Amino acid sequence: MNKKMKRLLGKNEFYVALIIIILATVIQAASGLFFAVNNVVDLLRSIVVNAIYALCALLAFVSTGADVSFPMIAGMSTYIVFKLGETTSLPAPVLVLIALLIGALCGCVNGFFIVKFHFNSLIVTLATSSICYGIAFGALKGVRIDVPAQFSGFANWNILQVKSAQTGLGASLHGGFAVMILLYLIAYFVLRHTMVGRAVYAIGGDEISARRAGFKVDQIRFGIFVVNGMIAVIGGLCYACMCKNCSPMEYYGGEMIVIAAIVLGGVRLTGGHGSLLGCMLGTFLLGMVSNSLTMIGISVYYQKVFIGIIIIIGASVAAVQAKRAMKISNVVKSEG
Amino acid sequence: MSEYILSCKGINKSFGGVHALKNVDLNVKRGEVHCLAGENGCGKSTIIKAISGFQPQDSGTIEFDGKVYDELSPSVSIDLGIQVIYQDLSVFPNLTVQENLAINTVLSNKTKIYNHKKQREIAKKVMETLNLDLDLDARVEQLPVASKQLIAIARALYAKAKFLILDEPTTALTRKEVDRLFEIIRGLKEQGLTVLFVSHKLDEMYEISDSITIMRSGEAVYTGSMKELSEDDFTHYMTGRDFDNVDDKQAEGRIQRDAVPALELNRLSGPGFANVSFAVYPGEILGITGQLGSGRSELCNTLFGVYKSTGGTIKRDGKEVKIRSVQDATKNGIALVPEDRLTEGLFLPVSIMENITVVNFNEFVRHMLLNRESQVENSSKWVKEIHVKTDDHLLPVQTLSGGNQQKVVLAKWLSTNPKVLVLNGPTVGVDIGAKYDIYQLLRNLAATGVAVLVASDDLAEVIRLCDRTIVMRGGVMTGEIKGDELNTENLTKAIM
Repeated sequence: MNKKMKRLLGKNEFYVALIIIILATVIQAASGLFFAVNNVVDLLRSIVVNAIYALCALLAFVSTGADVSFPMIAGMSTYIVFKLGETTSLPAPVLVLIALLIGALCGCVNGFFIVKFHFNSLIVTLATSSICYGIAFGALKGVRIDVPAQFSGFANWNILQVKSAQTGLGASLHGGFAVMILLYLIAYFVLRHTMVGRAVYAIGGDEISARRAGFKVDQIRFGIFVVNGMIAVIGGLCYACMCKNCSPMEYYGGEMIVIAAIVLGGVRLTGGHGSLLGCMLGTFLLGMVSNSLTMIGISVYYQKVFIGIIIIIGASVAAVQAKRAMKISNVVKSEG
Repeated sequence: MSEYILSCKGINKSFGGVHALKNVDLNVKRGEVHCLAGENGCGKSTIIKAISGFQPQDSGTIEFDGKVYDELSPSVSIDLGIQVIYQDLSVFPNLTVQENLAINTVLSNKTKIYNHKKQREIAKKVMETLNLDLDLDARVEQLPVASKQLIAIARALYAKAKFLILDEPTTALTRKEVDRLFEIIRGLKEQGLTVLFVSHKLDEMYEISDSITIMRSGEAVYTGSMKELSEDDFTHYMTGRDFDNVDDKQAEGRIQRDAVPALELNRLSGPGFANVSFAVYPGEILGITGQLGSGRSELCNTLFGVYKSTGGTIKRDGKEVKIRSVQDATKNGIALVPEDRLTEGLFLPVSIMENITVVNFNEFVRHMLLNRESQVENSSKWVKEIHVKTDDHLLPVQTLSGGNQQKVVLAKWLSTNPKVLVLNGPTVGVDIGAKYDIYQLLRNLAATGVAVLVASDDLAEVIRLCDRTIVMRGGVMTGEIKGDELNTENLTKAIM
């Protein structure tokens, strides 16, 4: 029991959950509205896209390093298929497939340079991000376009509709939430129960050891970036359908809050560490801050300050944990 | 069945224009512990890579278990039962003990699905090979090096190893852990395993090996039984040089006993040590010895202001001084050559010159601009003076061998003209040849009136180099050994 407690206390996820509970209690106490059913649903709806992006960031950081290209890959691909949907009569599944292909292609570019030339993933993905941005705006004149008819079904698909008796306000949970849950379930299975999933962690822990053990390091890394491209596209499509329109500009810069969220959730920038639960909790916490602070009268701009503070707290918890782990091993050493 | 389990014949390997292996023969008898010795860069790791199949040789054959191979590949080599425990141990720090133990076996089963229950069973079986008792759910990064090593060995044994290659396995271990490792190696030998033990620590080789092959500059220069090899011969084969007068400490007239002590500690306490008192005179070389965790490293770092002392006083030339930072220490003429030169002492990708001149940068600044000429001049003077083996001191430090890197660290601090030089593990990972150069350098330095403190757990080094040594154990000073009493027997007794 004691051992289990210790292990729990050593986890970032635990502290993030703690902060979430405290913050929720504070907001509830101050406004009485946090646990109103419409607020909870709104909150869940607001984290869908970032939670999907968080998967990309998790896979990249755990195995290789930073990936900052996912929002623009998402923005460009979504924009392209929305345009296609507007001008042609291709059915929705084909359009989704095309979008996934574009995402995979961008992922191939990332993976190729990172694996083949051992370029730093931050630089490579920064470049692809910039290229996608350029294509979306330069070649395709990225203006706001409405969701094409083929996607209107998905755009209007709500899995839950609630109305708060307390406030009279209604809220609906978009079908994107189901997509997110499905993606997390798949990711859970792959990361935990398949060799490829374990390889992601092994490579992040020690690349050379992984090679010696016989993991196909290059193939797996390449694969991760291709998959990342496709996950990003799914996130992008969900976002556009939830908004019922697509403007590539809105995707720009979306990576920062996602990376902050996963680091908060315990993903180490040095690789090898990070869990799905942590990603989810981190995303939820940041979503909660930007969604609910208005309820206690904190302005939108101060929310940014708040997010900054939370990130620093989160990072310092992680740093203290790492230091403590080091100390433990030192103590053992001197006893040995 | 032949007497030899492994015979490499006429192995050649070149990298670019460099001939890393020249016609090397390596014969290892079945069931023996064979030592492969040699200085850094002699080709030890190159031949291991040929045997493990990671980097096949250009020409020559490898015969293993009666079959001749022109070239081995990693998978063939593993199938034959050849297992290498690398110096970095090839463990995954972020994964649990259980996963680290089982991952190789699981991988070789080539399944796509990862079964946690089955993995636990495998991990338990792997632990049985060495009777280990580790917490299966602990993360490996939290374990001491010795446990990581045991994981690596157990993993190799479970993979049906017949021929185990240990690449410098004792580097990061305490004496107790080394004893445990040797016990395990002897046990493996009894089970019929053959062990190739790569090392450059002489006492360990005598302790564990049956026979030895010594390599120098890509050639096997000696093969034979360990017992028949004398210490002098060993040094000769390792370095190609003879060191006749190395035992001469040249202490006569060097130590200024009548002078005020250059450094005097009175009940100094700090993190990891308490109440240490001693005095060291100008010209004296004082050892601070004790095992890993005895507080010697912490003491050194406190003297240099890296850690803060928590009590007691420090006197420099009879005057009490406060050392709260590295700047304080430098100002008072104290310099430290740190234990881990790679992370604490050098900027590896930066030039030798800049590394040497970095501490007293201010000396080379004229009118707020760096005077490169005087910097170059100063650096080349030191490179010459302490025999750094390089063609050009503008090359990055990482192009140098371990011993020469250590010389650069020394030069860096010597260029500040310290009055008290503290060295922590001055020859860890340094070749024998460079070791003697460094000893001689320190003696010459002491002869100019500098007080030298050498913290080391290498007993042979303490005996050879120091005029006197204090002994530390568990953070306190337990004694002082000097003169004729400074021998292996007394030292071993004192530090245990």
